[in-house]
Amino acid sequence: MTSLKTASANAAAIVIEDGLLGDPVPLWKQTFKRLTRKRSGQVGLFLIGFMVLVAIFAPVIAPYDPNQVLIGIEQVKRRDPPCVHMFGCDVAKPQHIMGIDGNSRDVFSRLVYGSRISLMIGVVTVSVALITGVLLGSIAGYFGGWTDNVIMRCMDVILGFPSLLLAIAIVAVLGPGIVNALLAISVVSVPGYARVTRASVLSVKSQDFVAASRVLGGSKWRILFTRVLPNALTPIVVLATMGVASGILEAAGLSFLGLGAQPPTPEWGTMLGTEKDQMFSSPHLVFFPGIAIVITVLGFNLLGDGLRDALDPRLNS
Amino acid sequence: MKRMVFFGAAVAMSMMPAGAALSFEGMSLVAPDCNYGGKIKSIVATDEHTATFTMCSADPAFEAKAAFIVFGIQPSEHIAAAGPTKELLTNPIGTGPFKLDAWNRGDSIILKRNDNYWGTKPAYETLVFRWSTSGASQLNELRSGTVDQISTVSPDDFDAVKNDGDLQFLPIMGPNTLYLGMTNTFAPFDNVKVRQAIAMGIDRQRIVDNYFPDGSELASHFTPCTIPNGCAGEDWYGFDPAAAKALLAEAGFPDGFKTKIYYRDVFRTYLPEPSTIAVEFQSQLKANLGIDAEVAPMESGEFIGQASAGKLDGFYLLGWGADYPHITNFLDYHFGKDTQQFGASLPEIYEPLAKGSAIADVEAAKPVYEAANNAIRELVPMVPISHAAAGSAARAYVKNAGYRPFGAKQFSLVDPGKDTMVVMQNAEPISLYCGDESDGESTLVCTQLTETLLDYAQDSGDIVGGLATSCDPNADGTEWVCHLREGVKFTDGSDFDANDVVASYAAGLDASSPTHVGNTGAFDYFASLWGIMNAPAAQ
Repeated sequence: MTSLKTASANAAAIVIEDGLLGDPVPLWKQTFKRLTRKRSGQVGLFLIGFMVLVAIFAPVIAPYDPNQVLIGIEQVKRRDPPCVHMFGCDVAKPQHIMGIDGNSRDVFSRLVYGSRISLMIGVVTVSVALITGVLLGSIAGYFGGWTDNVIMRCMDVILGFPSLLLAIAIVAVLGPGIVNALLAISVVSVPGYARVTRASVLSVKSQDFVAASRVLGGSKWRILFTRVLPNALTPIVVLATMGVASGILEAAGLSFLGLGAQPPTPEWGTMLGTEKDQMFSSPHLVFFPGIAIVITVLGFNLLGDGLRDALDPRLNS
Repeated sequence: MKRMVFFGAAVAMSMMPAGAALSFEGMSLVAPDCNYGGKIKSIVATDEHTATFTMCSADPAFEAKAAFIVFGIQPSEHIAAAGPTKELLTNPIGTGPFKLDAWNRGDSIILKRNDNYWGTKPAYETLVFRWSTSGASQLNELRSGTVDQISTVSPDDFDAVKNDGDLQFLPIMGPNTLYLGMTNTFAPFDNVKVRQAIAMGIDRQRIVDNYFPDGSELASHFTPCTIPNGCAGEDWYGFDPAAAKALLAEAGFPDGFKTKIYYRDVFRTYLPEPSTIAVEFQSQLKANLGIDAEVAPMESGEFIGQASAGKLDGFYLLGWGADYPHITNFLDYHFGKDTQQFGASLPEIYEPLAKGSAIADVEAAKPVYEAANNAIRELVPMVPISHAAAGSAARAYVKNAGYRPFGAKQFSLVDPGKDTMVVMQNAEPISLYCGDESDGESTLVCTQLTETLLDYAQDSGDIVGGLATSCDPNADGTEWVCHLREGVKFTDGSDFDANDVVASYAAGLDASSPTHVGNTGAFDYFASLWGIMNAPAAQ
């Protein structure tokens, strides 16, 4: 089995970076090193890291409970604009750096707690879609024949619909709510993972080390899951990173349409949708949730770009 | 004989020889008896220009009801032909100042001037109705000049409109009520203690202070006090969260329960920001009573249909704007014997209402309405929240853009100074047969197309002539003789006569008539204000 492992590692073509001598450097270390050398990777990592920290420390960062109605507690009015004392806001007024929303709640606190929901949405949708898509794609690619045909034609049917439209249709049937929105986004994301996995598996399964495994008597499933799939994951990792961004964006879209997270959940898309009509009278209510979505999505996209470059052997000279 | 129109309901409707005009065969609608519980015993086309209403009991609100646009008159032949097939819903024919040109579904309704109109003809040729559910987007359209008048302005924008030289602010004077409805056939709302707890557990003053414009009032009763006898009886419960929580615990729900708050996300005079106010109720129910209420917006038509039929299993946000200046318009519609909106109708409420509706003198009726209002307070079919001040807006150049106190606005009296007037209202009409609709968007368009026997004055709650120059009662108010205007033509070219009155009322009142189809078939206003004849036992 030792020779098999070496063959597998060689097939990945990214084992040894510093010449042919010395111990092989693990793939993740090389990738991280290359990722941090690229500007897009750096910025992506920083933005995502920042968002993750905000999500983890939300109770510490947010000055108010996100659902706390401030009527009768502070002298605030609905949709008050931001008040930052250091920028000249009257110190007698309570400080709300992103203002007050239509239900007299602190926008900043809702935005901070919203980061938890958005990240959760991204991770959950990608996880569900990834597991399902990779499983289906690898089976289709490795076994071929009618299995491949059935699975991939089903994927083609799903791909035949615009993803957001299909997600809206699924939520319309299941009923609005964040769980159904997650399910809908996961379902529409599956074909992407399945296709990429299938293509990758098709390419890897014809490699010599896979043939060697077969000759040595490895079962089909064992070869698929221990030899082929690990070596076919590179493009899927990149796709998954980008997928988090699109998952967040689609969930925000569904919530904006009133089909995703329901009030009083402080979800960014819901916050945008609820106050969209106040764009001209209270622009802060759409500006800040919009910016939060942009930053998070940009972070994941940049990270995905960086990962793609870091994992691409052709760009690693 | 001008027309021969036969209705299937032989018992209720028949052709009869006219007494006055030999060439005219008048139609009649006659109830077998008055045991059906309604108001009308018969409607007879006495002659070509006289329609006689005989009542089962005196009805002091007869004139106010007869001016209500849902009782608009259409040609008897058209009703006979288009009623059973539902064509009436999209093809109304009236005597109004406009006629329907096109209904572009999802986009607009276009009306053209009726050049044969008997009254003052509109100063412009085309009236276009568009819609948007949000007050802010309506205002954006008005500011950009793509529309000339809008239905409602968000309270937050009142000052902005008043300070904008290009716009004019138009106060809407009609009394209205916002209420939190519950259906007593669904648990836990079948428990009166739960309903009473909710009545005490909501800080209604906080809602009025924070979500409604200046001039809005906390509702002490379901009916606004500007309506005679509206405020007879005890005031509503004060806000007492401790007592409410104790009552809820006594009812078996110490930790609250899970439910929903249904609403339609459509801007209304009584509910300026539906989704935001729904969230405020959600917050209060959770904080004050431990009730987990999920907000559940619904499509407008479905919401109204389900609410009217008593099929909503949670709270719902709905309201009422006065159609005519009489307490029956508020109480009888909502709490009458046949109303299903709050679940099983409550005799403690509807019995005094039945008595009150036959008493003409306001002071004499006061004890009866005290009893009804006190029963509403005790049994809490809903929680009245507010009587909202409201406003609308138009471009500054639009003349006569203001609203009358009662009845939908008549745009024929407006002058935009150009050939086309574009009005933006809150939603698309559900249909254009208003006999079976209750939404303001449908009735606003119907008001431009069809007319009623009587009408509301422009500057007061007085009743003035419409298609009838007058309706005169006998001494005890059990018979009303309506003298119809002569020389009036429908927009299809046919002449207006008393048979059209009988046929139009029969379509709504007579359940055995083949024309009694409507949209949903509920005919809410006919049922609640007059009563339905020949209703199947199941109804």
